[in-house]
Amino acid sequence: MTTRPLYVGIDLGTTNSTVAVFDGEEVTLIRNNQGSVLTPSVVRIDARGNVIVGARARRFLDSDPANTRSEFKRLMGTTHALDFPASSTSRRPEELSAEVLKSLRQDVADQLGITPECAVVSVPALFELHQTAGASNAAHRAGFERVELIQEPVASAIAAGWSQSGSNGPWLVYDLGGGTFDVSLLETREGLLRVVGHDGDNFLGGRDFDRALMDVALAKLAADGIVIDRANSRHAQALRRLQVAAEDAKIELTRATQAPLFVAGLDVGGQVMDVDLTVTRSEYEAAIGPLIDRSLAICARLLAANGLGDGALERVVLVGGPTVTPLLRGRVRAVLGADFGEGLDPMTLVAQGAALFAGTVALDGRPVAKAPPSTGPKVWLQFPAMTSDLTPFVVGKLLEQTNTIKQVRIARSDGEWQSDPTPCEADGTFAVMVRLLPRQNSSFQVQGLDGSDSAVPLQPASFAITHGITLGDPPLSRSVGVALANNRVQVYFNRGSPLPIRRTFVLHTVETVHPGSEDHVLKVPIVQGEFAWAHLCRLVGTLEIPSTALTAPLPVGSEVELMLELDRGGQLRAQARIAGIDQIFDRVALLMTPQVSLETLADAQVKLRTRAADLSRAAFLDHSGKTAARLSAAMPRLDEVERNIVAARGGDLDAGEQARRALTDFDALLAEIEAEQAWPELGRKIEETFAMAVSWVAGYGNEAERSTLNNTYQACKRAFVARDSDEVERQLAVIQRLGEAAYLRHPAAWEWEFERCAARVGESTDLRRATELVAKGRDAVRQRDGETIERIVRELWGLAPVDHDEQKLGHGSGLRMR
Amino acid sequence: MTTHDPLAAWRSNPFFVLEVPTDATPTEVERAGQRLLALLALGSAGAGTYETPLGPATRDADRVRQALAALRDPQQRVLHELWANVAPADGPASGHSNAGPWEEAGHALGWSALWAR
Repeated sequence: MTTRPLYVGIDLGTTNSTVAVFDGEEVTLIRNNQGSVLTPSVVRIDARGNVIVGARARRFLDSDPANTRSEFKRLMGTTHALDFPASSTSRRPEELSAEVLKSLRQDVADQLGITPECAVVSVPALFELHQTAGASNAAHRAGFERVELIQEPVASAIAAGWSQSGSNGPWLVYDLGGGTFDVSLLETREGLLRVVGHDGDNFLGGRDFDRALMDVALAKLAADGIVIDRANSRHAQALRRLQVAAEDAKIELTRATQAPLFVAGLDVGGQVMDVDLTVTRSEYEAAIGPLIDRSLAICARLLAANGLGDGALERVVLVGGPTVTPLLRGRVRAVLGADFGEGLDPMTLVAQGAALFAGTVALDGRPVAKAPPSTGPKVWLQFPAMTSDLTPFVVGKLLEQTNTIKQVRIARSDGEWQSDPTPCEADGTFAVMVRLLPRQNSSFQVQGLDGSDSAVPLQPASFAITHGITLGDPPLSRSVGVALANNRVQVYFNRGSPLPIRRTFVLHTVETVHPGSEDHVLKVPIVQGEFAWAHLCRLVGTLEIPSTALTAPLPVGSEVELMLELDRGGQLRAQARIAGIDQIFDRVALLMTPQVSLETLADAQVKLRTRAADLSRAAFLDHSGKTAARLSAAMPRLDEVERNIVAARGGDLDAGEQARRALTDFDALLAEIEAEQAWPELGRKIEETFAMAVSWVAGYGNEAERSTLNNTYQACKRAFVARDSDEVERQLAVIQRLGEAAYLRHPAAWEWEFERCAARVGESTDLRRATELVAKGRDAVRQRDGETIERIVRELWGLAPVDHDEQKLGHGSGLRMR
Repeated sequence: MTTHDPLAAWRSNPFFVLEVPTDATPTEVERAGQRLLALLALGSAGAGTYETPLGPATRDADRVRQALAALRDPQQRVLHELWANVAPADGPASGHSNAGPWEEAGHALGWSALWAR
């Protein structure tokens, strides 16, 4: 094994985790010390502080649930700490995930004799930035020095694509894990695997199937007069034990028509009893039917978004334990109308794909060997570690200036092929097309040639490329942007953008920050979502620039060059450069979801219910049956939120997280409906904005601007007819800018603007500076100094007041666009 | 922002960025992209610029990846083929990457017709 590469892939699952290795030709699943390829994602810490992971820990879920934790993946990226009372300790979800990863790493070491230093870890495609960061931290904590993340459906697709080449149509990966649901639409063409799009639900998984079955059991117990209350924290342990029993019964119901659900000595608030029930498959199927429908609605949404109708799919690949459920398989086949990929193990596909991906990015987990003795000039080689192209390029650069090497030659190790001598450019670069062996790992030797064509050794002298698949850049699942102080979002990366990606925008501070002043922080909230309003998007982290770190005052209106970068696995890097004081703040993104109190959630739920009722009333009055029906269909979600808040009061942290997310989604739905109800108003706004712009552009614009204005107005009207509010807003902004540009060419425009600013000087964010500017502006007006007036007005714009209500909605952002 | 400027968008046409013909196969497109990404990673002097009918333009790894992503999508590729094949017969002399606005460019590129779709 030591002579071959060791590419390690890990599926860090909600219920079970798996590790696989790829050696360049074959994928091998690693067994744990219990002989299984599945390691339960369960951690126990006993009274002595001993940490137990996996199947041994899972056994204690029933007898000692207080000190045994599972499902922590669903809490990744939050600040929740999970208690282990016997040892008086607590651990964050990422620390518990690290224990699972450490255990898997040890399994590789036990089986192969090498402790891997690098690994690829899979994460759900819809994991938000803070959750992704949590997964990465967990892997580092487990001892991996280099970690790459891969989206789970991409990993499944690689594994499925690796074993089933030759397909050219669209196909779907339906991945229902323990806690998350991901669906990805893929396409394979000439060996290139491309993720066309994905969708999913971060809070839908096998655990919800367990809970649905547990609800059946609770209803049966209630009928016998035994009430187990989710809101009662004294019942929390009983509920956890029942859930473990429900999970076992669920597995049995995939084969049998009925299953026992037995729990001995269940302590229900001090009353100890034996629970002995029978649940039938039909009861179970009735309970999980709505959950399956929810997943299929997401599939339909994804297909519709990509213009695919019935029967368009070539096949469906099922991933995850719950996909063995007979009802699910039947419904998926009936609704999606495609055959399932054969010979693929739904439980281990993700780990296999992650290992293959490690191969494509050459992430060899073997400890770095000592460098061989120096032989010849160094060369820097770039080549794909894995590709579907049988004749890829190998590009290199001689790192040492040498006059002896004029050309290079590359030869395949089997002696069957070698390149022609290829000349080096003046800067030492060269590009050689090499020939690979199909579906194999090909090794090559590279050597330099001097002026007389004699070989000169280079280092490295060899490299290898595997012929397999080429992976297209995965698309970003949700748009990422920065919340501004006016509650708008400056979008950095749109949904669907290929990863990795990097972008920089110049933003401006809305208030003065003095260095050293305590508790003063310039906040840059980073949000994810598809809405123009920041409060409707999810806050996934905040880049904070504390005043204590500033070396000089940061006046209001200061330029902040803010760069955001996402890598292929969705990990975020942020960098803020403050040009005025030449300071850089790097990697300061604090990617944690703040905890929200249950009282706040309950309050928000009541307010949303009232708002929804008002909208329903308005819809009935307007005879808008479609809107009324939409609201009516959405109301059960609020009922579910209410139930989850109750469960969270009883100690179910996961239910609290679900409630928080569902409330944000519901808020967004209401905002969308409100925007629809205000549609006629938007029509009037378009006409008014256009009338204003046309009056200025007609007088002070050029021909190109007049034509652009006309085209933009037509595009805006088309978007209005199509009821595309985002496009209307975008076109309106263009109309407004054209009008403003023309207006500012009026000879008196800057003076008018100056007077407008001067009239509101008392509201400025920096009164002293604004007053100074107004005094200087008055002089400039007297002297008819147009340039100075313009400069002063621009600075006064930067001092314009912030609407604090909007800023609060914008997650407290300290920035705006100029 | 630049995507709203038709000339800038045209200069960034993926076929120009990757220097491949519009009838290139997916494998040829990938190969060209892989070669360029490698050259850019090595800091090759020539890889940072490419020719367009409006004069030379600059590219970096991000632009190459965007171009690859665009040509992997069959729907986007069709549109880019259309634009790449538009011949600006009366275009400005090449060799001026910072040439000013070319008034007739929109018309020559069929911009108005496309806009009115």
